[in-house]
Amino acid sequence: MRRVALLRWIPAVLLALCALLPLTAEAQARYYWKSLDGANVVPFIFETLSGNANPADPAHTVVPGANVTGTLGVAGYTRMFSLFDRGAMAALIVPMGHISGEIRTPLTTTSQSANGFGDPMLEFDINVVGPRAQKNLADVVRYEPGFSLDVLTDLAFPIGQYSNTQPLNLGQNRWYGRLGLPVVWQLGPWVPGERTTIEALPALWWFANNTNYLEGQTLATDVLFQLDGHVTRDLTASLWVSLDILWYLGGTTAINGVAGDKLNNFGIGATAGYQITENLTLTAGYLMLVSSGSPNSLQMDRFTFSLLYGWHSLVEGARRLEESSKK
Amino acid sequence: MTRVQEGSTQAGITRRRGLTGTLGRVGMIGAMVALGVPAVSTAADAPRRPNIVIILGDDLGYADMGSFGSEIRTPNLDALAANGTRFTNFYTHATCSPTRSMLLSGVDTHVNGLGNMDEWTAPNQLGVPGYEGHLNHRVATLPELLREAGYHTYMVGKWHLGKAPDLIPAARGFERDFSLLDGAGSYWDMTSFTALSPRSLFTEDGKYLRSLPSDYYATKTYTDKLIDFIDANRGDGKPFFAYVAHQAPHDPYHLPKDWRSRHVGEYDKGWDAVRQARLKRQIEMGILPKDTDLSERMWFIPDPIVLAPVARAMLGKKMELYAGMVENLDFHTGRLIEHLKEIGEYDNTVFIVFGDNGAEGTDLFAMIAGSPGTLNYLFAAKNWSNTHPNAWGDPGSYVAYGPMWAQVSMTPFSQYKGWVAEGGIRNALIVSGPVVKRPKGDINHGVMHVADLMPTLLEIAGATYPKTEGGQELPPLIGKSWGPVLAGKAESPRTEKDYLAWEIFGNHAVRQGDWKLRWQYKPLGKGAWELFDLRTDPGERKDLAAERPDKVKALLAVWDEYKKANNVILPSRSMFETLDDQLPPRTPVDPGYPPLIYKRQFVPPQDMLADPKP
Repeated sequence: MRRVALLRWIPAVLLALCALLPLTAEAQARYYWKSLDGANVVPFIFETLSGNANPADPAHTVVPGANVTGTLGVAGYTRMFSLFDRGAMAALIVPMGHISGEIRTPLTTTSQSANGFGDPMLEFDINVVGPRAQKNLADVVRYEPGFSLDVLTDLAFPIGQYSNTQPLNLGQNRWYGRLGLPVVWQLGPWVPGERTTIEALPALWWFANNTNYLEGQTLATDVLFQLDGHVTRDLTASLWVSLDILWYLGGTTAINGVAGDKLNNFGIGATAGYQITENLTLTAGYLMLVSSGSPNSLQMDRFTFSLLYGWHSLVEGARRLEESSKK
Repeated sequence: MTRVQEGSTQAGITRRRGLTGTLGRVGMIGAMVALGVPAVSTAADAPRRPNIVIILGDDLGYADMGSFGSEIRTPNLDALAANGTRFTNFYTHATCSPTRSMLLSGVDTHVNGLGNMDEWTAPNQLGVPGYEGHLNHRVATLPELLREAGYHTYMVGKWHLGKAPDLIPAARGFERDFSLLDGAGSYWDMTSFTALSPRSLFTEDGKYLRSLPSDYYATKTYTDKLIDFIDANRGDGKPFFAYVAHQAPHDPYHLPKDWRSRHVGEYDKGWDAVRQARLKRQIEMGILPKDTDLSERMWFIPDPIVLAPVARAMLGKKMELYAGMVENLDFHTGRLIEHLKEIGEYDNTVFIVFGDNGAEGTDLFAMIAGSPGTLNYLFAAKNWSNTHPNAWGDPGSYVAYGPMWAQVSMTPFSQYKGWVAEGGIRNALIVSGPVVKRPKGDINHGVMHVADLMPTLLEIAGATYPKTEGGQELPPLIGKSWGPVLAGKAESPRTEKDYLAWEIFGNHAVRQGDWKLRWQYKPLGKGAWELFDLRTDPGERKDLAAERPDKVKALLAVWDEYKKANNVILPSRSMFETLDDQLPPRTPVDPGYPPLIYKRQFVPPQDMLADPKP
């Protein structure tokens, strides 16, 4: 038995490891795929957005008459682990960047901008239905998600950049979070190049009040239901595409008790992902909300590019040994 | 006698003329009586000759059926064993087409055309009669003789004995067939292995197929076709001979998804533990004597307990697939058995089950496609590169389980297919049906051989082997009828003086009584004669050649006799000629050596632990 024969599964394992995908408020396709206990991922997400709401605000509070553009980056760190024999992950997400916009009224046009760091967010996800945690490489190579259901919680800390003189801020000056149920449903074989999935993340966002909104006013937002859905398909072992949908419902915002319209918006988009190396993945996507045309209706479109670097000490070590054996 | 006479009218169907039909009829009654078939008295209770079904597993190992100690679940094959007799000392050849040639001709391979496999004919064998690479026309075939004796003759599965129109099953005596002419290929479609022969060849009833049925899966389709053949002629009163030459479980391990995950994780414990468990069950069953030792793990196979979990899991998964292949084979055999029960033919059917050679431990795929830049490598890249473990079993995947699991399949023996160690040539045999008069579930240790099938089945059919065919003298049969053994009147068809001999790829051996002399290429052999006492050492662990020169001399004389009688030409080239340079140097296999990789962390006494001093 030659040594190489025993090690030739490493690439497959690495491929599985790199199935770790971006962290954003709008979950991208293949985000909740599980990987090896102890795997690490550092994402960097770059977004350009435009619309009539603060793109850094997950409540998507509409600012009537606004024309906002933003350039946002999100950096983070994700760690896979097992808990009660279930696959789990914890992540820290830190948004940052620059947003600017004009707010037009019949009489004036004002320009605003903000830059800096947004509210950092802690995320915890654990699988509750589906295969057990991948605690070793043997589990990884045997893994197929089948029908997997997770429980997801997020909590954002209101320490990001905030100014009470304008609605456009990177921080939101209030606590908020999310409770979701990510679903991955495997259709057909779980073989790189052939994988097809239906994925969904139904989630409820909750928001505490911001009592210092625009010079001391109180901004309150009802619970917002958000549904992200994806149909994903491999084109090759390293290239995949996804058709994405997005639905917001609820999340009525009130300023000093005066309520605006609740959100009921549908979006559609597409994403492509490419595995550049065994450690590095690139995704690019576009999503736009279908607008009613009303100035009070949420409008948004977004380009997203993400780079993810994943690694695991065991796999890195095995690769070093393999490379050294070739010298 | 009505049915017998009906059968005899079929004698003109084949090209055989002359003595055959007459001899068949003359010998029929006596032979049936000898085998315990009810005696003839009136037309109303005329003897109904039994149907004959040969279930041949391709590369099925000695220890792969539950009734031979396997953990693989084979309830249908085991039921045949429980109703019939298991034979523990049954020999085939070391590779497939030579075995098949002897099965169907009863004649030694060096005479019947398979002196070497077609794929490996050596330069010095080219053009020599007996080395054609296909079943030549100097031999009569079992289906020809049975057809003349009034049997319907059906074949499904792998042929591997010739592809030309005059060599295919329909030309060699099979009335109906659905056959893969090649030695292996995809189970899902017509994809073959080499760039120059990219499509597998199939025939159905003598016609070469342009395509396969839409729902084709080899093991299933072969069974479906056979059931159709049986049903098509059902009711005409003639018995049938069915040669069910399954492709399974030969690699690549292609199988439907629901058969792939029935043993998940079961083989992660490694080949040594599975071998030991199988041996334990074989001894408990009485397949092997109490004091049987396992052959040593081959020196180039790692001790599984020093492997990482992922390596054990992936190598174990290959065995999971293999187990699924065997279970799927058993399932479809069960379908056939159930059908025969439904139509009332089961009780009058003789089943003969065995594998065609030792389990496969050689990496066939690497041999064909392992050299980058070759035509075959590029062919494999396009057609056989579905390598992800989750795709194993799908079209385009090529999984074979390797020498470590081949040794498990051949528990307790040494080595595997292609070699003339016991692991290459000994196989499990089950015979059940009305001709078996031994106690149900009996285990017999008589020395049997695949070439015995010709005389045995002719006897069951009430036919005899002709001396000539078309005016041409036929070579003598080398086998011996199992009639007395099946009837419970003898324990072996062979005496201590009778011998068996093998030669393929230059590896050769002879067995007489309990003694075996073998010569094999290095490093699996010594490139010299080795002597083993199979009674005390079935694992062929101890070479007694130096201790017993008398036995070596005696067996060498037997070998020379065999060689001369059958025109054995040792090949000038062999698939194993460079193996000694490919495998690591042969070393003894001592459990626990070297201690370096087995010793665990030393844990000091708690009361002697201390932190470093500042």
